Amino acid sequence: MTAHRPSADGGPDRDPSAEQAPAAGPGTAPTGRVTTGFGRYLLKHLSGAAVSLLLVLFSSFFIFRLIAGDPIDQLTRERPVTPEQREAMRAELGLDQPLWNQFLDYITGTLTGDLGTSLQYRQPISELVLERLPATLLLSGTGVVLAVLLGFWIGTRAGWKQGSRFDRSHVAAGLLLYSAPTFWLGMIVILVFARYLGLFPVNGMRSASTPDGLLSQALDIGHHMVLPVLTYTAVVYAGYLMVMRSSILDEIGADYLTTARAKGLRDDAVRRRHAVPNALLPTITMVFLAIGNIVNGAIITETVFSWPGLGSLFVSSIFYPDRPMLQALFVLFSSSTIIAVLCAEILYWFIDPRIRKS
Amino acid sequence: MTRRLSAAGAALALSAGILTATSTQAAAQDDGEVDRLLVATDQEVDTFNPFKSRYIITYETNLMTYDTLIRTGAENYEPVPGLASEWQESDDGLTWTFTIREGVEWSDGESLTAEDVAYTYDLLISDPAIHDWNIDFAGNLVSAEAPDDTTFVLTLKEAAPAEVLNAGIFIVPKHIWETYPDPSADDANDRMPLVGSGPFQVSEYRANELVRLEANEEYWDGAPGFDEIVYDYYSEGDAAVAALEAGEVDLVRGLNPAQMEALEGQDHVTVNNAQGRRFVSLILNHGAQTADGELYGDGHPALRDPVVRQALHTAIDKAELVDKVLDGNGDPAVSIIPAIFEQWHWDGGDELVQFSIDEANRLLDEAGYERGEDGIRTMPGGGDPLSFRFYHHADYTDYANVVQFVTEWWEELGLEIVSEPIEQGSLNDLVYLGEYDIAFSGWGVGPNPTEMLAMHTCEVLPTTTDGSERSHENFYCNEEYDALHEQQVVEPDPEARAELVREQQRILYQDAPVIWLYYQNVLEAYNHERVDDFTVQPAEGGMITGQQGFIWSFLSATPVGGEDDGGVSTGVLMGAGAVLLVLVAGGAFLFMRRRSTADERE
Repeated sequence: MTAHRPSADGGPDRDPSAEQAPAAGPGTAPTGRVTTGFGRYLLKHLSGAAVSLLLVLFSSFFIFRLIAGDPIDQLTRERPVTPEQREAMRAELGLDQPLWNQFLDYITGTLTGDLGTSLQYRQPISELVLERLPATLLLSGTGVVLAVLLGFWIGTRAGWKQGSRFDRSHVAAGLLLYSAPTFWLGMIVILVFARYLGLFPVNGMRSASTPDGLLSQALDIGHHMVLPVLTYTAVVYAGYLMVMRSSILDEIGADYLTTARAKGLRDDAVRRRHAVPNALLPTITMVFLAIGNIVNGAIITETVFSWPGLGSLFVSSIFYPDRPMLQALFVLFSSSTIIAVLCAEILYWFIDPRIRKS
Repeated sequence: MTRRLSAAGAALALSAGILTATSTQAAAQDDGEVDRLLVATDQEVDTFNPFKSRYIITYETNLMTYDTLIRTGAENYEPVPGLASEWQESDDGLTWTFTIREGVEWSDGESLTAEDVAYTYDLLISDPAIHDWNIDFAGNLVSAEAPDDTTFVLTLKEAAPAEVLNAGIFIVPKHIWETYPDPSADDANDRMPLVGSGPFQVSEYRANELVRLEANEEYWDGAPGFDEIVYDYYSEGDAAVAALEAGEVDLVRGLNPAQMEALEGQDHVTVNNAQGRRFVSLILNHGAQTADGELYGDGHPALRDPVVRQALHTAIDKAELVDKVLDGNGDPAVSIIPAIFEQWHWDGGDELVQFSIDEANRLLDEAGYERGEDGIRTMPGGGDPLSFRFYHHADYTDYANVVQFVTEWWEELGLEIVSEPIEQGSLNDLVYLGEYDIAFSGWGVGPNPTEMLAMHTCEVLPTTTDGSERSHENFYCNEEYDALHEQQVVEPDPEARAELVREQQRILYQDAPVIWLYYQNVLEAYNHERVDDFTVQPAEGGMITGQQGFIWSFLSATPVGGEDDGGVSTGVLMGAGAVLLVLVAGGAFLFMRRRSTADERE
């Protein structure tokens, strides 16, 4: 049982040689130096993130000008209009402004929190985004958590017993699902579980007939969530599986594991208490990226299942083309990823001593 | 491994069994008290302001929420009384007097009078933004007055009988709209439930989830059969079809032939294959030009010759396209007004072009387009080869199939055809810049032929060459055609007007700036165990969805059976309970499995 002690200290036990160096550092230097080191590190990454955000802000305006098409064509797609009517619509939607003015409006608007008005929904974009954010967080949040847990769990075991039947069958199954087109898989899932077995609703998030009560609404949403979450998880978990597996493979020959075994630990305990904590380190970036990606939603899954989230909003905006909406969503998606990566980098300072050392 | 797999299989089968028992009940049944018609849709809502909305879905919710003075008949798209029981046009056609029905109430119980009608029409005149947004009709209005509670008088600048009869202005309640700070704002009319005088009022809207309408039990034309209509969102057509099969939705529109075939095999589904209002056409770049006559773009010069255009037309077997591309679900097209509007449609008569490759070759030979050594014809006098760019919409598989057939026929004429799929937005941009030779187009046509015919008048030609003015179809301008157009717009006698409208269609057909390929059928299906008695428009072989001027189908529809008694809440509760059970069981299973692996690894 003594082997459990290092974990009880709060941190995972690590290769002892790596732990000694930082332990020597704070001992010799005044604490101020560490703060300065962290300050510099933080500043460097904060400024990097700020530059990225600015680039996203500027580029998103121009990227979506590249999508061809006149939004008025969509507005008037099945009913012809006179030239005067087109002009009135153009003026009201602000499409008659010179590009430069539109750019300035966009920059000042975005910086002051006014994301503009959607062309296709003709509502303030911030309202639309806030309305749909919970649906997206619910679907992809659940999906990401499940995918990460499942991927790490299988990946650890697959890597630990590389070449075993467990390894081969799970890697094959994971990669098969990973390479399956989400759209196709989603339709198959709908046909099997909703159409033929009748276990779950075909799509949507709530039924029109569900009473207003909190409990019945929550249960109804849970019922609708199963198939999209299943589809999303099935498609992405292999990514986490493969990273965790190769991370375990990197650790598997390490001396500290031999030491642990020499102490008489069971194989299972060696894996869980010694190999996994160290193997998790490189996957942190990936987990944070996944958290950042929760906002983008599962774009295709949302579309197949008519899930009223940000992903399906993005898709319908592309076809319009609803440029103000696309700009806003692009900035939102990109900044959530940038911020997630920034958080990962900050976290590394605290959990990876090699960074403090350098 | 095998042991574990079989355990997993057993767990899954068990949970599936529980779920099937409970959730089929949950999914298929409705609460017994509310008769609800569930309609599948995929269209976003633009605005509930009836003066500003342009989408089909809001057109339909407006038609149900509000009344119009005159409706479009279910029989044959003829004008029939709506909120106005009768109307009278002055001799000069400038003053229209409507008699408004007595005793009509708004859905909030207030009574509706001519004062409300005058207020509505006056918004079109005096609110600048509403006026501009509806300029095609509003621009012709002088005054709107209500001398008493049942009389409404509308004065026009110029006579425009068809425009007044087909105006479809949604009459809004003055007592509500007067309180709006800006009646022209997109969000002006967002307070639910909306107040109107139609058969159903919008009562709830959740973006991309549903639009709910509640029946107006006091409707002056009789209470609707259903208590509620719900537009339910399905972004994928195949998902909507699966939902209809599973009994989750009652009415699905916009089916493709394969989906329709699949649904025909379902006992509880009735498929309606109706004649459509939509045409698909090929537009030819016969010379892109501005209103001043300045030519621009890079269209092939051969297409400026009507003989070449008519040769292309002659070498298209439209019946074959309907048969092979649409699986027979349509009709070969002749003119711009589809055959469904039989009072306006021109059927070609003796001048109908008959498919003949030989005749098409003869036309080109006679006009001096000789074949070069490679078999490709050249401009008369040995100029450029007749090589045409043929653009089709990348996301329409039907169009890609048409291209294959047509290209084969045209290559037999000694023409080189370079076809290219292009995304819709870019394709529109190219067409209005005149940078194409041949491209696809298609429109859903309404009951007033003027809308379509106006797109080929000189008046709507662009004034600049930047492609931003898009009210024309493809740069057509013909004085003889325009003269007929001006006459038909003011002609009060429907028969005389029909003559003029047919003559316009004949000119377009002969001159062939556009080749109309086919009129597409409307394919829709419903669950006849849940709903019946849809009134179709027109009466013969008509459609349930996509009705114009009034939604007869939803007013007349009645629920079938009354089998529901369990109540949905218990069904859903049990279904969801079963899901929880599965999750817990799954978790326990994983946990036990984890324990067992740990043991094995000892």
